[in-house]
Amino acid sequence: MRPESRSVVMRGLTVCIAAVVVILALDGAVNVLMAQTPFGAPRPSGAEPQVGGIVGWLLAKQSEFYREMSSTIRAAKSDGSAVWTLLAISFAYGIFHAAGPGHGKAVISSYLVANQETARRGIVLSFASALMQSLVAVLIVGICAWLLNATAKTMCNAEKVIEIASYALIAAFGARLVWTKGGGFMRALQATQPAPAMAAVAHHEHAGHGHDHHHHEPSHIHAHGAHHEHAHEHGHVHDEHCGHSHGPAPSELAGPGGWQRGLGAIFAVGIRPCSGAILVLVFALAQGMFWAGIAATFVMGLGTAITVATIAIIAVSAKDLARRLSGGSEGGGALVMRGVEFGAAGLVLLFGGGLLFGYIAAERVTCF
Amino acid sequence: MNISMRRLLGLLLFAGAYAFGVSAAQAHPHVWITASSEVMYAADGSITGVRHAWTFDDMFSTYALQGIETKTKGVYSREELAPLAQTNVESLKEFGFFTFAKADGKKEKFQEPVDYFLDYKDAELTLHFVLPLKTPVKPRELALEVFDPAFFIDFKFADKDPIKLVGAPAACQMKFQRPNDGTANAQKLDEQNFMSGDNSNYGAMFANKITVDCP
Repeated sequence: MRPESRSVVMRGLTVCIAAVVVILALDGAVNVLMAQTPFGAPRPSGAEPQVGGIVGWLLAKQSEFYREMSSTIRAAKSDGSAVWTLLAISFAYGIFHAAGPGHGKAVISSYLVANQETARRGIVLSFASALMQSLVAVLIVGICAWLLNATAKTMCNAEKVIEIASYALIAAFGARLVWTKGGGFMRALQATQPAPAMAAVAHHEHAGHGHDHHHHEPSHIHAHGAHHEHAHEHGHVHDEHCGHSHGPAPSELAGPGGWQRGLGAIFAVGIRPCSGAILVLVFALAQGMFWAGIAATFVMGLGTAITVATIAIIAVSAKDLARRLSGGSEGGGALVMRGVEFGAAGLVLLFGGGLLFGYIAAERVTCF
Repeated sequence: MNISMRRLLGLLLFAGAYAFGVSAAQAHPHVWITASSEVMYAADGSITGVRHAWTFDDMFSTYALQGIETKTKGVYSREELAPLAQTNVESLKEFGFFTFAKADGKKEKFQEPVDYFLDYKDAELTLHFVLPLKTPVKPRELALEVFDPAFFIDFKFADKDPIKLVGAPAACQMKFQRPNDGTANAQKLDEQNFMSGDNSNYGAMFANKITVDCP
């Protein structure tokens, strides 16, 4: 009698906590959404915050490095050694640039958390998307400005189209995550109901869907065997009465199918180039130093990747910690983790939608 | 430690780390403008509009000039730059020309810009334009702010003659406040309220504020 009532209390608690986490996550996102009046009039301001602390310092450093780039490119025309300075500045700029707010790392981190990816995968995703971003910037300027000698206006129209495509991709990617993670979350919710009959129903349900990209895994076999490491992958329900058998090892999850999934994230984030890189490239081209601009762009991407990877590792470790602390393999813990994943998936969708419909002001395309 | 306590702690840790990763999606400047502006008055002492001269940094100037054909290489006449000036003012409309006026606390609207042109000097473009007020006003206090709420553009007013009053009644007094000069009883934006997303006035931190009092 006593352990039962205790587990009911625990379940109730975890449901509440899960709800709080989702709300917190959504609140953060909504704040981002609502806080912006990107192109409107300023709000009547009572409090006028000043920039200070780490954020202010990051902004100041970024501006400093960025502003030094134009004079360094000029200097490099006559003095070859200035190219090294340019690369050093670009690298530092990349690191600081990504440390500031931006949607790329938010999407990647959310994706990693939603999908229970490894830190290693996070690093690879960060570097691949940063590399792609650099490549897209070089291609845009190379084709539009260098080959076609198009005007800035034409170039920025091309950027706008790419930008919209990128946001739509992020939203679609988020929708798919929400779809799969939502299923897992609902089943975990149902499983926390005390009635065993319902849990059984949940099992059958889960066998039916929520597997759209896991066909390579023998999911039905362990429909009753929850394994804490990848429970979410199958939307497993963790009843107390079946928690012993094993699913695939974590290493198997990073198989070919897994990388394919990651490609979606790389593409969605990496297709949108950084406005700063475009400006630097056009400037370098005009100075007859296009190659230096290209080198600077890739070094910038390297710096960005390092920062994004660091943040991705923090996100992944935080989730691992949360799972360990919440005793991830039991019913309540599983619910919490499904809730966290669902929340993260929802964030990706929110970011995509928010960016697409202009509620989130991303780095503006330079069009004026 | 109790299990649910541990869970709560874990989740809080997670949420905190998460907030760090997500934070907010604000930009940082990519374009620098050195501005000097004039507040224009009619003969009867009412304010008719604002005349801006915005000089873009050399990187953006080069970017904006990409693909523009000229008779002489590196020399851009006002006529050759006219289509670009047209593009500039048309695009700036979307952002409210980064100029926000209040007369005695009431928001004032601007008309389409007039007398706009670009000139090119020392590798930098300067955009000149006049923003007429929809209706001229004669307030006791005019508050004018110039900034980019998204802080993609960093507006800095010129060191020499940042603001001029043109044709203002003699009694009018102008005050000019640069961003971050600490004179306002400003609330500090520290990490804490940055993380909590309480940064609705993000760009406003970089606002240049002009007030004109006419008793």
